[in-house]
Amino acid sequence: MSISSILDIAKSGLTAQRLALEVTSENITNVNTPGYSKQTTIFQTAPTTLERGFPLGSGVQVAEIQRAYNDFLQQQLTGQSATEGFSSTVLASMNQAQQLFNDLTTDGLGKSLQDFFSAWQDLTSNPQGQPERQAVLASAQQLVDQFQRINGSLHDLKSEANQSLEGIVSDVNNYTSQIASLNDQIKLIEIQGGRANELRDQRDQLVRELSGKVGITYIEQTDGTLNVSLSLGQPLVIGKQAATLSLQPDPANSSYYKVLATSPGGNTTTDITSIAGGIDNRQGEMGGALQVRDTMVNGFLSDLDELAYTLATEVNNVHTTGFGLNSSTGLSFFTPPATMAGYSGSGGIAVNITQTADVAAASTDPATGGTGNNVNAQTIASIYDKVLTTSGGQLTLGSFYNSLVGKVGVAVQDATRTQATSDSTIKQLDNLRESNSGVSLDEELANLVKYQTAYQGAAKMITVSSDMLDTILGLIR
Amino acid sequence: MRVTQNTTANLVLNNLQIIRQRTEELEQQASTGVKVSAPGDDPVTAQQVLHLKALISAGDQYSRNISNGTAWLSMSESAMSELGNVISRAKELGVAMSSDINNPDSQSAAVKELTQLRDELIQLGNTQLNGKYIFGGFKNDTAPFDPAGNYTGTDDAINIEVDRGTQVQINYSGGQLIRGGTPPGSSGTDIIGTINNMITALGAGNTAGVRTELGNLDNAMGQVLATRTDLGARLNHLTAAGNIIDDRKLSLTKVISDKQDVDFAQVISDLTKQQTAYQAAMAASAKVSQMSLLDYLK
Repeated sequence: MSISSILDIAKSGLTAQRLALEVTSENITNVNTPGYSKQTTIFQTAPTTLERGFPLGSGVQVAEIQRAYNDFLQQQLTGQSATEGFSSTVLASMNQAQQLFNDLTTDGLGKSLQDFFSAWQDLTSNPQGQPERQAVLASAQQLVDQFQRINGSLHDLKSEANQSLEGIVSDVNNYTSQIASLNDQIKLIEIQGGRANELRDQRDQLVRELSGKVGITYIEQTDGTLNVSLSLGQPLVIGKQAATLSLQPDPANSSYYKVLATSPGGNTTTDITSIAGGIDNRQGEMGGALQVRDTMVNGFLSDLDELAYTLATEVNNVHTTGFGLNSSTGLSFFTPPATMAGYSGSGGIAVNITQTADVAAASTDPATGGTGNNVNAQTIASIYDKVLTTSGGQLTLGSFYNSLVGKVGVAVQDATRTQATSDSTIKQLDNLRESNSGVSLDEELANLVKYQTAYQGAAKMITVSSDMLDTILGLIR
Repeated sequence: MRVTQNTTANLVLNNLQIIRQRTEELEQQASTGVKVSAPGDDPVTAQQVLHLKALISAGDQYSRNISNGTAWLSMSESAMSELGNVISRAKELGVAMSSDINNPDSQSAAVKELTQLRDELIQLGNTQLNGKYIFGGFKNDTAPFDPAGNYTGTDDAINIEVDRGTQVQINYSGGQLIRGGTPPGSSGTDIIGTINNMITALGAGNTAGVRTELGNLDNAMGQVLATRTDLGARLNHLTAAGNIIDDRKLSLTKVISDKQDVDFAQVISDLTKQQTAYQAAMAASAKVSQMSLLDYLK
């Protein structure tokens, strides 16, 4: 044992404490960085040597700079991000759909439907009246406009969802390529020993954000790289290779986009439209957009089509048997529907007759049977109360519409609940993560004092050993 | 659980957010006065409210139908009451002229008056409401009785809906009421025919002929009275239907209000509670986040 080994030990102390102080300052400055995990300096004694029969240490060394990390929390956060992305996308669309069907605060399709049949009721009181006939035509036109407005707006919702895929796909491509390049860097760093803590934090954060866009699963490889794939299998990142998503109009689905994935590093392209959001497309913003576009809005549209179709068919059936003031007969009141699908849109339902005289209020020719005949008007007016066989069971037209409003309401309520739940779960998980991995300033400040004092101690050792050397050298003089 | 500045900050932020959210909901309820303002708030209630509202507006339509029907029936009623007067006068004349003691002058005066009464009958048969002949059946935009008293209208029933599925006929056929069916007298008493017969008999000085028609006049009176009774029953039906609709509207409005409207006292007191909670949360968080080890390190 020599004085120089005291110097060496003190030096190892200075170096180690300085490193610890560096880590502390890194922690303090990143206190608000999203995804940053607190790092801890792990000290260990340097190898011991046998000194005159005594095993003596040779100072301190830093064993590891450890990242406070909980893989279970990360998995849960990733999963919840997918649910959150899905539900907030769906909620935004459903809220828009709800406005179209909000008969509670405004006069919507339901009111127009009532007004239409009310106009027929008024016509029964005065079957030859021009104002009453005009009212029937006007209210019918208004009803048709309402159908077409709602149909158009629902298609707009689908287009919006379709459009949003563009942004989502470019985000996904951005995230996967960043994850792939981080994989590469992490592998290069960790091959030389040590852990690429900051890069791993960044990668974890990217994985979370990617999961908000599409449902994913991931597995860490032994070389430190992360393999990411869609929750139903399609690989997105393998090592340093990333998949590329692209969009292509699908003629089979009204030229809405289908989502294609080119496998990482390869050139095989797969259609992932049905699996991009996991089972039933219920994960991530992409799942939400696809779900809204291909399932939810279609449900409302088909109900709307059915309502328009049933209305037109029922009214036409009676109207064609009746007679107008000018003895016209056999006329359809609404454009006769060819098919149910799409009938509520433009090019579908329309008022077929233009002249007030063609409104068939009479059951017999007014030229012979009298113009006061209101039998047909009455039969048409009573269609509103008629129980019809619909896809929703035995319902009147009004109840059928109300049940459609109910469906929209349930969709909104469902989306709101899922969104609220995943939102609060994410907040809780975030807080747990913060508790587990977050930087506590108090803790770091305490460490600062601790390491600073240790540093001062080590420095003092150098002064002491320097004095000792001086003493020895002084002996010679 | 390890607590850091950020966990505290998140917690405070979350709690403030939750309170703000509740406050906003309550403020919306207080300002709109309704609990359910969109289908998504409560789909089941929304559906029920829509159904109830539809019932109310259907009721409004039925009320309009009823008031139209009441106008028709009231008009018919006054025409029939006048019809009764005409028949009474004819009866008086008939009784007076049925004895042989009248001189030809008074007989010819009676003929004149009877002719006038017959014209009055035709005029009553052509009673109009809003330009429509109420006794004409479906042919109600042309006069159903020609000057000779022939009925050209139809015997069709004009029905209106006074409640879901309930129809009430609001017209009477002039042919049946005044001519006793088509052809005249086929199903009742032909009133115009009776008076025509009296005119013909009196013109010929045939008092016996006048006497035989007296019985028919009694039948005619009976026919008008019976129709008026039926009319009264229909008017009652309309009034009753109207009352039912009004009552139902009242109770439906109350049900909707129960389902949809907010309890203001509750909302305002909840709102006050939320505001207090908000203030408390803010005060507490301001105190907590002030503290740091940094204050004690030099």
